[in-house]
Amino acid sequence: MPESIPASLIIDTLKDTFREARAWLAAEVAEPPRHAHLGWILSVPDTHQRTVLAALDKEQAIRVLTCATEDEATTIAAGLWMGGEPSVLMIQHAGLYASVNTLRGVAIDGRVPAFYMIGLLSREKDTDPRESRHSMVRYCEPLLDTFGVPHARLEGPDDVPLIPEYFRLARERRGPAAVLVGLETI
Amino acid sequence: MLAPEDVLRAIAAARGDAICVPTMTTAPAWRTLAPDDPSVTCVGFMGGASSLGLGLALARPDRRVIVFDGDGSLLMQLGSLATIAGAQPRNLTHLVFKNGVYHTSGAQDIPGGLTVDFVLMAKGAGYKNAYAIREATEFKRRLPALLTEEGPVLVELHTGLAEKTPMTDRGGLPFHRQAEALRVKLLRPRA
Repeated sequence: MPESIPASLIIDTLKDTFREARAWLAAEVAEPPRHAHLGWILSVPDTHQRTVLAALDKEQAIRVLTCATEDEATTIAAGLWMGGEPSVLMIQHAGLYASVNTLRGVAIDGRVPAFYMIGLLSREKDTDPRESRHSMVRYCEPLLDTFGVPHARLEGPDDVPLIPEYFRLARERRGPAAVLVGLETI
Repeated sequence: MLAPEDVLRAIAAARGDAICVPTMTTAPAWRTLAPDDPSVTCVGFMGGASSLGLGLALARPDRRVIVFDGDGSLLMQLGSLATIAGAQPRNLTHLVFKNGVYHTSGAQDIPGGLTVDFVLMAKGAGYKNAYAIREATEFKRRLPALLTEEGPVLVELHTGLAEKTPMTDRGGLPFHRQAEALRVKLLRPRA
């Protein structure tokens, strides 16, 4: 049975993920950007991950940019990546559906390593998301499969290591990768 | 009325080490005028130029970023005005080439045509400054200040139609190669 993940665990994991990304970049390039922060969260606020967003408000080490649309978030991530800045997109499944052309044009065709944390709002605790009675839950994984986007489910605290794993995967494959947040964070 | 090519020529001469983000009808002329420029064209995701410029401006606050947006393009992601204003990138100059039509697809009127006021919209969203410029002499006179003043600043440029469009002049690298080339210029990967 899936469990909710504490916001603090996700934030600590994001910090480690950003530190690793900066260390990797510093080894790869002569002029990595030097900023006081570790990385960027590009968010179109997601009900499912609201405790994480609330806790991020108090964080100095991670910069949060609220975007009007998921199209913007993905495209801003591309600009940040060209300049050497790591970012994570925190969105909802409905936002993924709304931004499919940008997913295709920027992240897939543009070969931009965009890492998404996608909240499965209304996901039933006792039901596989692919069998949800809610279309917005049910179509998420099939859509990612259609576009060849690797994805994994965060079904509880033990799955949090999937965040750095799929972040790395996005970088290595030069394209999008996603983790799906199964239950509301706490 | 400004000629888009004259505007771009003036920018090419004055841009210094600015990163430029053309889109749609500014793209063919820009790659002729500034072929080795640190620029990346928004191609394949119409409407994304402003957000692409924002990401670059936030990543590289030491460099000026100049977006060559279109009026129809900006309307596709109009919320980006608020997102940019919220982020307050001091180094972003957002130029909107306003001709009132979707030139590339056959010059159909954009919604609202030439009555759409992007200066008001940018000011309402929270840009530091926004101006409209209609004449070449005024543009050339004000350009140095537009490339150095604290952003985000939006300039609505009242232009005629470009000589070329991405449909009549299809050259240029695909987005992924431009993105990689710009990343290499900015970060200089170790050999």
